[in-house]
Amino acid sequence: MRPDTPKVLFGIAGQLLVQIMPEVRTPIAGQTLTLSAALLSMVAQEFDRAASRLVEENRAVRTLLADARGVVGEPSLRSRIDAETADLQEHDFRVSALQAVNDRLRTLLTDVHAEIEATPGDVAANLNERIWDELKESTRRRHLASGLA
Amino acid sequence: MEAELAQYLTSKIPGSSGMAISNVFRIPGGASRETWMFDAAWEADGHSHTGAFVLRKDPPASLLTTERELEYSFYRAFEDSPVPVPRMRWLENGSTALGAPFFIMDRILGCDSNANRIQEAEYTPVRDALARRMYEILTEIHAFDWRGTEIERVIDPPAPGECWKRELDHWERVINENELSPQPIARAAIRWLRANPPPPPQRVTVVHADYRVGNFLYTPDGIHGIVDWEMAHLGDPLEDLAWSFMEAWEWTRDGRKGGIIWAEDAIRVYEEASGTKVDREALHWWDVFGSVKGQAIWLTGARSFQDGKTAELMMPFTSYWLINFQDEIMLRAMGRGA
Repeated sequence: MRPDTPKVLFGIAGQLLVQIMPEVRTPIAGQTLTLSAALLSMVAQEFDRAASRLVEENRAVRTLLADARGVVGEPSLRSRIDAETADLQEHDFRVSALQAVNDRLRTLLTDVHAEIEATPGDVAANLNERIWDELKESTRRRHLASGLA
Repeated sequence: MEAELAQYLTSKIPGSSGMAISNVFRIPGGASRETWMFDAAWEADGHSHTGAFVLRKDPPASLLTTERELEYSFYRAFEDSPVPVPRMRWLENGSTALGAPFFIMDRILGCDSNANRIQEAEYTPVRDALARRMYEILTEIHAFDWRGTEIERVIDPPAPGECWKRELDHWERVINENELSPQPIARAAIRWLRANPPPPPQRVTVVHADYRVGNFLYTPDGIHGIVDWEMAHLGDPLEDLAWSFMEAWEWTRDGRKGGIIWAEDAIRVYEEASGTKVDREALHWWDVFGSVKGQAIWLTGARSFQDGKTAELMMPFTSYWLINFQDEIMLRAMGRGA
């Protein structure tokens, strides 16, 4: 067994601030060290949760897109929704692969949102609110505790 | 860098000799340009001279892509005006002297500039006065008659009705060019901004465009220099007021703008000093716009680091820390936040 990656990264950040910072002689070096420690702390948080966050978000966005299919009138947009929601399973759990899927889905969500905003009726209005809720939730998923001590 | 600076200053100061450069150090911040301090001593006309200078040097990449000549011109235009600015000395557009273009200005000595320093106890008795002065100076920037100055040479003035569109087009283009991942919240904000444009300003003014606590030089006696003009342009003055109110600059996290003043108090100072009434709906438009612009800036830094154009850790830091925070701010500005 070895220490968890976040534990190691937080440990390095702490050592930089406690052991190295007192030895620093110039303001610019001090800033670089502070930023290094803050980045390590933030990367540590992201390392642990990134795959989970992306799987959760990809599932939520696919569900929204599937529900939007009946409201969206633009044929090319419907085709793109069909393509992205044909398979609801993730097949590659590397963060880079999940992120690539997330990028495609959120690009499509952006286009669908623009279409929904311009669509009259209660169904579209309700979907619009659900998209805003998802966007708000997306910021909660990405929220980081302060990286600066 | 001492030898290069000595050679450059000797070439610029007529009759100078024995140029000695000392105390060269780079200061933190300066997210758009590297900022260096240095002192110089030289002989000329049979006398000894000294000078304290600031060097603003183009980095390989930054949070912003701006024209140094434009920034230099705004500084020059405001010299000897009621708006305090450091005096410009030399603009160098070539890379021969220091490896990158730069300009040099006089250093205003003995001042603080850090956004946190003004929160310290020493400033408690004078903080309200400094905050008031900050917004009085803003009205002086906006009252400045830019016609016939260097500004007119470097900027094509927009018509009043074009101000919002020119800025929004620019920053949307920056997002298009730099986003590493889709930005659905910024895109929704941009759609709202285009669908709900603000009324034209009564007059087109100088817009500092980064007017906030952290971008002026101060002591307990007052504000002695407005700096960081790299995004300055001509446009709607409400852009500055809204930018100074952005939640990202609420350093004390208690709702005070810049950590020093409540928005209503700042607006009252601005209205009293300018003799104008602030259109709150238009101010809200510029508030949402400010969030889009802020996001565009953080995305530019992220792109620069990802593409290997810079190794400055400020770029990944701002992208990890501020891109999501800016999205949260944008949601709140649009009435969609928590």
